[in-house]
Amino acid sequence: MKLNWKLKDILMIAVCSVLFGFVFLGATYAGGLLSGVLTPLGLSSLGYEPFYGIYFMAGAFGIYVMRKPGTGLVAEMLAAIIECLLGNYFGPIIILSGFVQGLGFELLFALRKYRRFDLPTMLIASVICSVVTMGYNLVISGYSSIAVPVLALMLAVRLVSAMLIDGCLVKFLADRLARAGVLKGYAISEGLSQDLED
Amino acid sequence: MKLEKLNPSLKALTVLLCAIELSFQYLAGLNTAVFLVCLLLLIFCSDASLKTALQILIPAFIAALGLFFMGLYYARGNSLTDAELSGLSSLPYAVRAALSTNFGAALQLATRLLAFAGLGVLFALTTDRELFLYSLMRQCRLPAGFAYGILAAVNLMPEMVREFKTVRLAFRVRGLRPGPFSLGPVFTMLVNSIRWSESVAMAMESKGFSGEQPRSYYLRPKVRWYDWLFCLGALGAILAGMLLLPK
Repeated sequence: MKLNWKLKDILMIAVCSVLFGFVFLGATYAGGLLSGVLTPLGLSSLGYEPFYGIYFMAGAFGIYVMRKPGTGLVAEMLAAIIECLLGNYFGPIIILSGFVQGLGFELLFALRKYRRFDLPTMLIASVICSVVTMGYNLVISGYSSIAVPVLALMLAVRLVSAMLIDGCLVKFLADRLARAGVLKGYAISEGLSQDLED
Repeated sequence: MKLEKLNPSLKALTVLLCAIELSFQYLAGLNTAVFLVCLLLLIFCSDASLKTALQILIPAFIAALGLFFMGLYYARGNSLTDAELSGLSSLPYAVRAALSTNFGAALQLATRLLAFAGLGVLFALTTDRELFLYSLMRQCRLPAGFAYGILAAVNLMPEMVREFKTVRLAFRVRGLRPGPFSLGPVFTMLVNSIRWSESVAMAMESKGFSGEQPRSYYLRPKVRWYDWLFCLGALGAILAGMLLLPK
């Protein structure tokens, strides 16, 4: 895979990743609170699931805006490296997670040869990414020793979260940004120019 | 020998490989040992303060406790097989029952998270950001554009915090009261961030940075024999633990 990124693209994704990192931090506090409340019930990990979609935001944003092979994967890994630099307690392990998340989100777009970027595609990509990351959790986080119904519940919450945040919210934000004319020069703005002229 | 002296890329690779190695075993004792060794290394072989380490680890402890209860209540069961239990048959039934099903799985889930957190903190507190990026460029062939782009974005952070406050203030001036989850300020921040990133990219390019031509570097992190020793030693020690520690 040739990394055909301009400096402008790299900085756009990097700066947005830092911003998503802030959102992520806020969500982690909220998730921590919720998971603390759920701890006596034995469902603490469920507390983080409603915010799980935030992890995939950089990748979803990257591929939706740039629409080229590798953009989702590279954007997600860029975000992961930044997260690692900011001192996350999982350190470099985050980079591996970023790789899995980016790959999970980009899979569908690759299968469809980077031609379709509509809402259903974003939603299905979110679903695939959730399933792939749950598979990763089964191995890495040892979730394979947790009872299947609980895992199913966690996956269900994660699916909804990813579909809302990455399928709907990221698409909505990116579309609005494109219409505001901030994303000129990116694939997302192609075809928008005619609308702006009249 | 300080941990700060190790090559950052190889240190990151070591941590990553250790984590992967640890995810193929189910020994709570080994996980705990890894976590404690990481803390000991931080205390004796680095300049990092234990207080900072423990502060960063607080959320990890909370998450581990949560996972422990999750495992205790909802483990898939049978973490200790009957054969292993035969040695414990003199214990009262209630104790055996508690031991037999979920306790082991719960402990194993929680300690694995702690082991990962220990490894992560070991890396995070002994690695200089810039040196890590320089090392990623040299050892992992990260294109210079990405490395300096990341660095620029990370260094923009304090500015972004300030800007976020300004944006929220601007909303208040207009009589709007954005809640913690409202999209308005986030959207404004996105617009500003993208404009900034364009300006920074333009500034870097106008200073002659293209990210493509070969350039000279002030810092050139190298991989030395002790980096490999650390990597292989850590992986070997965990492997030995997997083979030697009682199940």
